[in-house]
Amino acid sequence: MPLPDEYRQSHTPLEDLQGLSIGLIAAALGLSFLTSLGFLTGQTAGLALIIAYLGGWSFGIVFWLVNLPFYLLAWRRLGPEFTLKSLGCVTILSVLVDLIPRWMAFETLNPIFGTLCFGVLTGFGLLGVFRHKGSLGGLGVVALLAQDRFGLRAGYVQLAADVLIFAAALFLFEPRVVGYSLFGAVILNGVIAFNHRRDRYIAE
Amino acid sequence: MTDTATPPRHSPLEDALGLVSGTTLCAFSLQILTTLGLITGQTAGLAVLLSYLTGASFGLVFFVVNLPFYWFGYRRMGLRFTLKTFASVALLSGLSMLMDPRVAFETLHPAIGILVFGVMTGTGLLILFRHGGSLGGIGVMALYLQDSFGWRAGWVQLGFDALLFAVAFLFLPPLLVVQSLIGAGIVNVVIGLNHRRDRYIAT
Repeated sequence: MPLPDEYRQSHTPLEDLQGLSIGLIAAALGLSFLTSLGFLTGQTAGLALIIAYLGGWSFGIVFWLVNLPFYLLAWRRLGPEFTLKSLGCVTILSVLVDLIPRWMAFETLNPIFGTLCFGVLTGFGLLGVFRHKGSLGGLGVVALLAQDRFGLRAGYVQLAADVLIFAAALFLFEPRVVGYSLFGAVILNGVIAFNHRRDRYIAE
Repeated sequence: MTDTATPPRHSPLEDALGLVSGTTLCAFSLQILTTLGLITGQTAGLAVLLSYLTGASFGLVFFVVNLPFYWFGYRRMGLRFTLKTFASVALLSGLSMLMDPRVAFETLHPAIGILVFGVMTGTGLLILFRHGGSLGGIGVMALYLQDSFGWRAGWVQLGFDALLFAVAFLFLPPLLVVQSLIGAGIVNVVIGLNHRRDRYIAT
């Protein structure tokens, strides 16, 4: 049910700035738990993690590079504003995920707690980014394009990408790594699915 | 507000997931806080300080410290709130005791640790508040005292924290107390900016 006009409200630029900052810091922190454990996730970040682990490269740099092709699509499909915002958020996230381990490294990190914290923290971080008009671009853009061009449901396209990423991971990593990674991805997506609701968090 | 616009309610499953997520974030960020040897405000702060002084585990002390406050919660906020708060406190205590031997840092820069503590605890508490829970005592006691004796609730809460930090100065190095104040400040900014019933409308 759309809200009557008197209930509509906007975030101020300062509020968006704090929302994006906290969201990106939380998402990056969660990802740093994941990289300390050597685990994976879905979407563009998952693809970047596989490449980074196999090549022994830094996740932040690979994540930034993997996202480049998607800006071309985004520019044509979703316009310059969305594209530049995605570029900004992806760049900040890439820098943070590479910097955080220099300041915060684990001597012991139980895989269950680490994965649980990754899912909750990165899930809420992304929620903060979405609620404050940010975006992390990536595969979501391809999914929207596929829905427009070929009538494929965007959600299924994203799911198919994750199935491919995890199927590839099964050949490349130990089953234990893939199992924990799936657990984390389920929590992450659960947090977003349960909470990303325009009818409950109503500010824009 | 028109009477047709009743706020949507969270389902029990949503509330349960909210309480688990919120307390997980708080338990993890308390690992950071105690690794750095810092304290915070409210009953959690009291429990951290007592656990430093006695060597007892934070989870256990936190659970015990909160016990007297459920009475105020029940009188002032009702059964539902009190049960959710009890569940949150018990979850946080349990998670803290489980995490303590399983999460340890090799490197932890104090500035980053304080920032991360503030963001994680602020987010965790925000989730608990949005799902009708809390982490206990002082705020509810302050509301009760305002109702009964006319003491301003805000001043009671501030008074408690002022006393806690004053006591902390006696036992901890001053630098750590100042760092603790910064962390508590970040927690309160995150909650202050984001805890808005007019924007997140579900109850």
